[in-house]
Amino acid sequence: MMMDWLIAGAVIMLVAAALSGARFPRVWLALTLAGTATLLATAFWTLGGGAEWDWRSSFAVGGERIHLRLDALSAWFLALVAVVGGGGAVYARGYWPDCEHPASAGRGRTWWSMLVLCMSLVLLCANGLHFLMAWEAFALSAFFLITLERERRETRAAGWLYLAASHAGTLGLFAFFSLLATKTGSWELGPMRDHAELAPLFWVALFGFGVKAGMFPLHIWLPSAHANAPSHVSAIMSGVAIKMGLYGLVRFSGWLPLPAGAGWVVLALGAVSAVLGAAFALAQNDLKRLLAYCSVENMGVILIGLGVALLGTANGDTAWGRLAMAGALLHVWNHGAFKALLFFGAGSVLHATGTREMSRLGGLWRAMPWTASLFAFGSAAISALPPLNGFVSEWLVYLGLFDAAASHTRVAVAIVPATIALGVTGALALAGFVKASAVVFLGAPRTQVAVHAHECGWWMRAPMLALAGICACLALAPAAVWPFISRVLVGWRSAWSGGKPPASLITLGYTHLALAASLTVAAIALWFRSRTNGVRRALTWDCGYALPTARMQYTGGSFAALASGWFGWVLRPERRLHWPRGPFPRQADFVERIPETVLERVIGPVGDAVMVASAWVRQRQQGSLPDYILYLVAALAAMGALVLFGSI
Amino acid sequence: MISILEFLARLAVWLFLAPLLPGVINKVKAWVAGRRGPPVLQLYYDLARLWHKGVVVSTFASPGFIAGPAVAWVAVLAAALLLPLGPLGTSLSFRGDVILLIYLLALARFCTAWAALETGSAFEGMGAAREVSYAVLAEAAVITAVLTLSMQSGSVSLSAMLTPSVGPGAVLLAVGLFAVLLAENCRVPFDDPNTHLELTMIHEVMVLDHSGPPLAAVLHGAAMKLLLFSVLLVQAVLPIGELSVAAASGAMIGGVLLVTVAVGFTESLTARVAFRRVPLLLTTAFLLCVFALLIAWKGGAA
Repeated sequence: MMMDWLIAGAVIMLVAAALSGARFPRVWLALTLAGTATLLATAFWTLGGGAEWDWRSSFAVGGERIHLRLDALSAWFLALVAVVGGGGAVYARGYWPDCEHPASAGRGRTWWSMLVLCMSLVLLCANGLHFLMAWEAFALSAFFLITLERERRETRAAGWLYLAASHAGTLGLFAFFSLLATKTGSWELGPMRDHAELAPLFWVALFGFGVKAGMFPLHIWLPSAHANAPSHVSAIMSGVAIKMGLYGLVRFSGWLPLPAGAGWVVLALGAVSAVLGAAFALAQNDLKRLLAYCSVENMGVILIGLGVALLGTANGDTAWGRLAMAGALLHVWNHGAFKALLFFGAGSVLHATGTREMSRLGGLWRAMPWTASLFAFGSAAISALPPLNGFVSEWLVYLGLFDAAASHTRVAVAIVPATIALGVTGALALAGFVKASAVVFLGAPRTQVAVHAHECGWWMRAPMLALAGICACLALAPAAVWPFISRVLVGWRSAWSGGKPPASLITLGYTHLALAASLTVAAIALWFRSRTNGVRRALTWDCGYALPTARMQYTGGSFAALASGWFGWVLRPERRLHWPRGPFPRQADFVERIPETVLERVIGPVGDAVMVASAWVRQRQQGSLPDYILYLVAALAAMGALVLFGSI
Repeated sequence: MISILEFLARLAVWLFLAPLLPGVINKVKAWVAGRRGPPVLQLYYDLARLWHKGVVVSTFASPGFIAGPAVAWVAVLAAALLLPLGPLGTSLSFRGDVILLIYLLALARFCTAWAALETGSAFEGMGAAREVSYAVLAEAAVITAVLTLSMQSGSVSLSAMLTPSVGPGAVLLAVGLFAVLLAENCRVPFDDPNTHLELTMIHEVMVLDHSGPPLAAVLHGAAMKLLLFSVLLVQAVLPIGELSVAAASGAMIGGVLLVTVAVGFTESLTARVAFRRVPLLLTTAFLLCVFALLIAWKGGAA
């Protein structure tokens, strides 16, 4: 009963927030925060062992009664929606205020509340029809948020691309849910693993949800949408919205019977997304695009975990499958937290300098020490470095992989390459984030905009600090969230009992604590020792060169050149180079662009071919009567042939 | 009480014996070249001197310039403490500690590269870029080697993984890991620790701007990392855990010395390869580890 009221209250508050958003920013902020806090409370109530909440309406919408359900798996994702939804609302107040964006700020607030509401409804809906409605409303509110700054051409292009890709995915989901409804005879969703004939539907779901989850090669919409959206929108898109696709995959892989190849395919897609996402991220020169590609990489890591789990269930519910699934689930939270933190940091840089181009930044740490240290923290966390939270989840995935490999079963054929891919991904991500944080924040300012940067206000700083705090808690006390994870695991596959946290996870938590303490002590001790010995400031040693300029620094492009060169076959960088010639060269320039390979080399040509074919068809529509009669006769003849020979 | 003493003993080994290795390597190189060479204890003298020196910090550098070497040093030390020391055993052993070890080394890499990029020097940027890029290939080789050990022993904790020998794949694994050791510790043929041309270096160029105690931390950390890889290599190949204490100690010390001398000989007898051929060399190391893995896989299945 209490849950009914809490969830109804949260929905009403979010609707009221959406209505008040345009005119009353303070009321909106209060209502959104209250709504997300209520959602968070319900999520933790369920995760903490509360009974599964189940509610059916007495009235029908679209011919079906509304059926909402909150179980541990929904609650796991709902908590993430609530945290980033609330944090982003606070951030937006500093980042996208009315005084700077009079036209779009109000709109942004309205759609923000709508987005949070619709994502929550997607998580709650237990009826296929309403799931689709909530899904569509969620996709549309995200579209309006991405195109807040619609006077910019790139933003509009990114928005349309997102809308098109998202609807391609939704088309898949329409097929999925209607086939499901036809085969089971009802729109109700629930465990139906005993219907073996439903197994092939998994592939349809994999496509539909995969587009939203941004798995390679369905990620085409993701980089431009995340880069061109306002940063708080990028944060919720990257941290939370793409997780909705993952929620769908996890949910229906738990409810539906699985085809034999499911685990193998998911694992392979995960490994490819991870490695190529990291490689693309490393090669980017746009800070937010880099972060966007890194989301592809992290979704890859999560999919590796899910793939191992699916292989595990196909091999008799093995312990290694459980470990990998636990790692994947934990990575959902972790990635949500540090990716939102990093996008907030990137937004703060963009706000202060007006550019996302890394080669124009540099040396920002002096002007923006908070942003710089928080971004560095996020970078270390996302590179899966101990003692931070990204490592804990990847460690669990690794444990699952190693155990699976050591089981000496047939799955090792897939497991071994996936493990190596995960290792390579880690090293590539590290290179990418050293590049991102160092080129933006360290060294000397490369342009005037970087010199005149300023620190962000407390409205923007507070959510970043809160997210960093969440990362630290998840890092230092990973065993504390294990009960939640184990409930989600039980909800996913009822045969799986969660049990106590693995002893090694508890040890890892203590090791992280000790490590964090000794790192701090060592840094302070070295600082004191240096101070007592005397610190002198001097020019950087540049091979004895006395007048180094900021433009002589290593750029992001040159930093990444070596490793991204190895991925040239898929990155296909477009370079234009005018060498300096003669003793007094006038002109020399170098332009490098990393294309969206899948979009420009695969989808683009296919689209062009369709356009050419359509143009040809249009030419046959000239309004000349003899032609039409010819078409009629041809069509009749074809139908006649079909009737004659089709019945044989 | 005993465990605290044991922990201190292990700590002492890592802290005080590590700087011997570069000294031994230099002695070998001097001997091959027919010189007398610096004393074996030279690094100890250097460290003591640096510890009392003042620090020159670039005008662009943030506090991270000093924190970086400190964090990297702790990370390497922590990774070393996870590694069992033959008969001395390990301080802490849990399932998956080997992954923590690999990622602690990654943390050290992150901090070294970070501190290098603090200065805004093109040379240090170059070094950092090379370090993180080559690490991608080295990481693949290390993960494969660890997978080999894990498949061989059916365990994911270092103390169990390193007890038996690798079996028939030992030679392949040894060569692969030795190449990784050379690459990760920036020795010839990947890098030349003695060069004085900033353009040609990886690791040394990253620390150009460090001085005083932070430089001491960097140098000591590098020595510990060398010892770490040597110990890992010896234990991965030899069945240390199956020997008696005396034999195991002897095998450990002998093995580490052998590795060190081999590094010295490699450095004396080969030239540094061109940078564009480094990936080829590392890929070869990776492939050797893959073959070792295949052998371990077949062996386990039989």
